[in-house]
Amino acid sequence: MRPEEDRVDIDRILSLPLETGSQEKAAGQSLPSVGRGDLMTYDAAQNNPGRFADLVRRKLNRSLVASLEACVHCGLCADSCHYALARPDDPRMVPAYKADQVRRMYKRIVGWTGRLVPGLVHAKRPASDEDLNRLKNVVFGTCSACRRCTMNCPMGVENAAIVRFARGILADLGIVPEGVFNVSRDQWESGNQMGVSEQDYLETIDWVKEELQAETGDPSIDLPVDVEGCDFMYTINPREVKFDPRSLANAAKIFKLAGESWTLPRWGWDQTNFGLFSGDDRLGGFVARNAYEAAERLKAKRIVISECGHGYRSTRWEGYNWAGYDQKLPTESVVVTIQRYIREGRITVDPSRNPDPVTFHDSCNIARSGDLIAQPRWVLRRVCSDFREMHPNGRENYCCTGGSGLLSMAEYRPLRLEVARIKAEQLKATGAKVLCTMCHNCIDGLNDVVKHYRLDMKVVQVMDLVAGALVAPE
Amino acid sequence: MSPLLRVLQDEVQIVALSFLGIVYVLKLLWIFRFPHRTERTFAAGSARAGVQSSLMNVLMPWQMESTRSDPVFYVQFALFHAGVLAAIALSFIVPYAPGLLVGHGVRPVMLATLIAALMIGLGRLARRIRRPGLRLISTPDDYLSLVLTIVFFATAALLLAAPADWGEGPAIAFFALTALFLVYVPFSKVCHYLYYPFTRIFLGHTLGHRGVVARRARVDAEGI
Repeated sequence: MRPEEDRVDIDRILSLPLETGSQEKAAGQSLPSVGRGDLMTYDAAQNNPGRFADLVRRKLNRSLVASLEACVHCGLCADSCHYALARPDDPRMVPAYKADQVRRMYKRIVGWTGRLVPGLVHAKRPASDEDLNRLKNVVFGTCSACRRCTMNCPMGVENAAIVRFARGILADLGIVPEGVFNVSRDQWESGNQMGVSEQDYLETIDWVKEELQAETGDPSIDLPVDVEGCDFMYTINPREVKFDPRSLANAAKIFKLAGESWTLPRWGWDQTNFGLFSGDDRLGGFVARNAYEAAERLKAKRIVISECGHGYRSTRWEGYNWAGYDQKLPTESVVVTIQRYIREGRITVDPSRNPDPVTFHDSCNIARSGDLIAQPRWVLRRVCSDFREMHPNGRENYCCTGGSGLLSMAEYRPLRLEVARIKAEQLKATGAKVLCTMCHNCIDGLNDVVKHYRLDMKVVQVMDLVAGALVAPE
Repeated sequence: MSPLLRVLQDEVQIVALSFLGIVYVLKLLWIFRFPHRTERTFAAGSARAGVQSSLMNVLMPWQMESTRSDPVFYVQFALFHAGVLAAIALSFIVPYAPGLLVGHGVRPVMLATLIAALMIGLGRLARRIRRPGLRLISTPDDYLSLVLTIVFFATAALLLAAPADWGEGPAIAFFALTALFLVYVPFSKVCHYLYYPFTRIFLGHTLGHRGVVARRARVDAEGI
């Protein structure tokens, strides 16, 4: 483990200025998303504290009000947050404190007691853009919105929802970290969060297909695009196109062996959704709707989501609600698809082909905010010969530390890595050599942890292990 | 019984209780004015089972890491709230059913509960002052609510334990404080129990619907 020297000055983090270079460039380029008012940019000439108050009133919903009202400040949440556990002497890491930075504004703007006797409940409006910038650093920089504190809150207060609520309002004011703005811009402009053009997308698919045909010696192996009437439409993470085509190749190989009829869509293929992280429900709805409409257009019988935590949560659960789109098709993780293949004998796997000790990291967005805990384990126990749990696990697992878009916010990286000590200790205790997860975001987050804390582990996805254990038919 | 005590334990309590009830009704109407999100996804589990599990969570300390790893805190929580119940019950028993305090061991049980709650309350106050994390998040209302509750326990215990020759002093103190409490509660954090069903139901509904708890077996076989 790394020594104490990595300790971050939290006052510096909380006073990081608002960077607007990318916003000015986007406005200068007259990007369509800016022109339409989808992507909001910061305007210092506006009465931003006043606009903040208006947005609070407009965006509140019943469950948020309940969470904003119900906290009794018992402090139990501090025992469940990896930020608070890693910095026990820093009270600003307590989840209730972070939520209170939003709550105090809510109480002054909307709350009963806060409007009558503000001092009694520390109610305070944001007075300046500086206050809003500080709030930006709290809600984007000191919380990974993992929801672990909610699971351990006797009242069931949704601190992560409060954090996301504030993020969404700040996004409407353009008071966001530059990375959040950039990724949101790419997703609004190109339909995917890495700005992959259609040409790059199609060329990468062709390239993966050729590589796969050469590797397997099977010229019939295919990555079909925009084929109508397939059993399922496969949605992926842009990272699979841009940085890690191996996972796309693994999927194609497995689908081929299973005799699956599937397709990728030409548009609406990105299952990731930065709206979840930025708190922008409009962006969330736009991205999710792209996928749902693509599946409808292609008359697919099902939507399958490649391995991605926030992508799964967004596409399977939140996206339908953000988009105001009633679910029509079964929507599942590819891990569930693989589970079905193994159960039905459509693919054969040999666990001895993955002999190293493997542990599994549950993505927060899948285990706590989604519904898949047993399924990946069911698969892993059949494709690895030495599977071992980390503790805690399942819906009590610790965040990879890169959740909620933190990987795109370089300015908060030192704090993220410092508090990753909790995750590093948890990983080290397993003695595993292979760290498996079913999330591209967690892959990057965990790789950072492994590297920073010098852990002797390789980070992989479920599909990597399944592909490694595949037994080709005679 | 003096006219002061008679009015305090009857009319004043009824007025204070009515005030509390009216503010609660207004608060509930206010909460329901906020929009509620429509769920548009297929269920992977049972929202109803999730809600049931979430509401019963308070009785299942093993469900949460925070209470599982600190059972003493949970016991304190239970006794503290039992003290609240005992003190509230006392405010009804004394004027309307004083016979309940004679025999059956009711009085000593209530007294023991109130004294335990009083000690725990003092411990909680010390904890709130001592811990930097708790101190930072604590508002004047957090302290005032806790102190009022502690004094409420103390006066209730005194009312039960005081010898007859102390006169009406303990009863007057108890009922005066109860009335004050009833008026303050709706504006303080003490009314967290009004929000408790909301937060637990919303959380339980989500967890149940998504199958994080109460997952349907059919879902794994056929997909959703």
